[in-house]
Amino acid sequence: MSSHSNHEACLRPNRRQLMAGIGAGGLMLATQGRAFAAGADNIIKVGFVSPRTGALSGFGQTDGYVLDLARKSLAKGLAIGGKTYEVQIIDVDTQSDPSRASQLAKSLINSDQVDLILAISTPETINPVADAAEAAGVPCLSTVMPWEAWYFGRGAKPGAPSPFKWTYHFGFGVGEFYKMYVSQFGLIETNKKVGVLYPNDADGNAIRANLVPLLEKSGFTIIDPGAYEDGTTDYSSQISLFKKEKVEIFNSFPIPPDFAAFWRQAAQQGLRKQLKIAQLAKTGLFPDGVEALGSLGYNLGNNAYWHKTFPYTSSLTGIGGEALANGYEESSGKQWTQQLGATLSLLDAGFTALKASTDPKSKADIAKAISTLNTVTISGKVDFTSGPVPNVSPGPIVGTQWVKAAPGSKFKLDFVVTDNATDSKVPIAAKLLPLNG
Amino acid sequence: MSQDPTVRVERWTLQSRISILAAAIILAILATGPFFFGNNAIDKLTTLFIYVILAVTWNALAGYGGLVSVGQQAFFGLGAYAAVRLADAGLNVYVSLVLAAVIIAAVSLPISSFMLRLRGGEFAIGMWVVAELCHLLVNLDSLVQGETGTSLIALNAYDADTRHALNYWVALGSMTAILVILFVLLRSRIGSAIQAIRDNEEAAASLGVRVMGTKRIIYVFAAFGAALAGALWLSTAITFQPKTYFGVQWTAYMIFMVLVGGLGTFEGAILGALIFFLIETWFGGSGVWYLIGLGATALVFSLFVPRGIWGWLERRFGLGLLPLGYRILGVPSATRMQTPDDGGIGAAPSVGTP
Repeated sequence: MSSHSNHEACLRPNRRQLMAGIGAGGLMLATQGRAFAAGADNIIKVGFVSPRTGALSGFGQTDGYVLDLARKSLAKGLAIGGKTYEVQIIDVDTQSDPSRASQLAKSLINSDQVDLILAISTPETINPVADAAEAAGVPCLSTVMPWEAWYFGRGAKPGAPSPFKWTYHFGFGVGEFYKMYVSQFGLIETNKKVGVLYPNDADGNAIRANLVPLLEKSGFTIIDPGAYEDGTTDYSSQISLFKKEKVEIFNSFPIPPDFAAFWRQAAQQGLRKQLKIAQLAKTGLFPDGVEALGSLGYNLGNNAYWHKTFPYTSSLTGIGGEALANGYEESSGKQWTQQLGATLSLLDAGFTALKASTDPKSKADIAKAISTLNTVTISGKVDFTSGPVPNVSPGPIVGTQWVKAAPGSKFKLDFVVTDNATDSKVPIAAKLLPLNG
Repeated sequence: MSQDPTVRVERWTLQSRISILAAAIILAILATGPFFFGNNAIDKLTTLFIYVILAVTWNALAGYGGLVSVGQQAFFGLGAYAAVRLADAGLNVYVSLVLAAVIIAAVSLPISSFMLRLRGGEFAIGMWVVAELCHLLVNLDSLVQGETGTSLIALNAYDADTRHALNYWVALGSMTAILVILFVLLRSRIGSAIQAIRDNEEAAASLGVRVMGTKRIIYVFAAFGAALAGALWLSTAITFQPKTYFGVQWTAYMIFMVLVGGLGTFEGAILGALIFFLIETWFGGSGVWYLIGLGATALVFSLFVPRGIWGWLERRFGLGLLPLGYRILGVPSATRMQTPDDGGIGAAPSVGTP
C-alpha cells in the first residue's frame, strides 16, 4: 500500500466509480430484461413452459412442431367477443430444472406480462410454475403428471377446500391407472401375481401407497421387494424374489437407465421367460427409449395419455390424431409420440378458455373461464365442472403395448392400444400379446 | 512492535471509511427499492441478495476458515424444510423464514462436533454425506411426501405486490445482517484466530488459539447463512421439492461465486455473487453450454487467478475497501511483514497485508 504514490491514490476512487458504474449498468440491464415488451391491450400473451433439454427432454422434443401448428392457426389472430386479438405464444425451456422453471415463470409473469401460462410434463416442470402463477395471480393451466402430485403435492389438504384460485390441471391420476391396470392385466390368463419394482421417489412412493391397496382389493397378489434408490445397478435380489414367487405380471415406475439395467439382468437371469405381462410406466413412453433396448423392447406393456387413434379433433387447429402424427413424422423424420397430442390438447384447452372469457385481458375472467371449462380437446374431454377436487379434471390413460412393426414399416416398433377402460371411445387396435409369446 | 514509537497500527483508512459510508448509502437506497422498481427488478434483486448470502457464508467457511465444504446444501435444504414445517404449524410465514435459519444453526452445532474432527478432503466429502443424509431424512416426512414435495402456500395470503416487497426486504435485511455479523466477527479476535487456524492449525493451537471453538463459530455461522438463504429461496420459489433444495448445484454455485470473486476476501464474495447473477441472467438460457462455461471459468480461475478478481485487484491497486486487516505504518521497508503468497485456499489476503 505504502509503495503506491499519492498520485495513484487520487485515481483510485475513479477506478472504483468506474467499476461501480459498470456494475450498476449491468444490474439495470439484467433486471429490466424484456420489460419494454409489456403488453398492449389488443395482444394476448401466452407463456408455454416445457422441458426441451436435459433429463426430461423426451417430453419436450415434439413441442416445437406442435407450437408451429398452433401459431399457424393463430396467425390471423383470435376473435373474442367481437374483437380480434393478436396472439403471442412465448415458449421457454426449463432445461428439466425446477429452479429454472420457477424463475422462467416469474419472468413470464413480470417481464413478459403474460395473460395465461400453459405448463406441461412432470412435477419438476409444472409444480414450480403453478406455484409462481398462483402466487402472482396469473391463470395457469397444465397437464401430463398425476393430478394427485399436482394438487396434494402443492400443499392442498384432503377434505379441505381448494387453496388454489388461479391454477388448474387436467389429465390422469392414480384412479385412471388403477382402472387401466385391472383391465390390462385381465387381458391374458395369469396367476394374478404381480411383481412390483417401485423406486424410492415421488412416483414410486405415491404408486406404492395409493395403487397397491386397490390392486390387492381386486384380487392381485403383490410381491414387493421394497423401495430401491434411483440409480441402482444390481437387481439380482429382486429378480430372485420374483422368480421364487413365480410372478407372471411385472409392474414398474422406473427412470429409464434403471429399467434398462433391470431388464437386461432379468433376461440374463431367466425372469423374462417366466413373465406374461411386463407393464411399464414413466419409462418407455417414447419410441427412442424402447428401441434402445433392442429385441428386449418387444411386447412391453405401457400406457398412453394420448394415442394417434384417439377419435378427437384439435379444437384449435382442426386436425385429427392421424394427421398430427403423420405431419410430425414427415417434418421431423422421427416416429410420432404420445406427447404430440398432449401438448396440442393443452393448447386446445387454453385457447378454448381464452375464447370463453368475457375479457381475455382480465386475468380473473380467464381463470373463471378455465374453472367452468367443459370442452373436448384432441386428447379427449376436459371438464372442470365435475372433477374429484376443484381445479382438477381427470383424463384418460389407455393401456398400450410396444410390438414389432409390420415388415416394410419405416420404424422398428409399433405402439398399439390394447385397453380403453378409461375412455371407451378410443378403439382397441390389438389384443395384448404375452411377453414371452 | 507497539513499543516502537515510530510504528503505528492502523485499521481505519480514509479509503475504508469512504467505502463503509458508500456501502451504507447503497444499502439505504436499496431499502427503498420496492417503491421504485417493478416486480421483475424486485424479484431479481431478491435473488441477488440470496446469492450474496450464499457466497459470503461459504467464503467465511472456506476462504477464512479453510473449511472447504461441498455439503452446504444440507443447511440450504434444511432451512427451507424448517420454514415449511413452521409455516404448516401456523406460524407467520416471514417469522418462519428467519426462525427456521436460527433452528438450523442450532441443529448444525451437534453436527459440527463430529464434522470438524475431519480435515481437508475428508471434511468436504463428509459434508456431502451429511447433505445426502438430511435429504433422505426430510423425504421421510409425510408432509413432504418424498420427492413429490409440498408448497409454502401460506404465502398466498399476501397479495402479489406485498409479497414481492416483503420478500425483498427480508432478503435485503438478512443479507445486511449476515454481512455485518461477518464483518464484526472478522474484526474481532475470532477473525484473527480463524485465519491463523486456516494457515496452520498446530501453530495456532500452540499460540493458545482455541481451535475447536473458533472453527465451530464459523461453521455455525456458515450453516446459519445457508439455511437463511434456503428459507428465503423458498419464499421466492414457493415450491419445496427436496431434490431441488438438497442438490449439490447450490454448493457448486457458491464455489463458483467465491473462486471467481476472490477466495478469502470480504468484497470478493460479494463481487462473485454479482458476477454469477449477471452470467446467469445473460447466459442461463443456453442450457448445457452455460453449465460447461461456469465449470470452465471456475477451473481457469482456480488455476490462473487463485485469489479471484478481487484478490487480483487488491494486489494490483492496493485496494482495501474494508478495515479488516491491520496496516503497520512507519516500519522500515526491510523489516516489513510479508504476506504469505501460496495462492489457493492457504492465501491470507487481509490480515498482515503491509
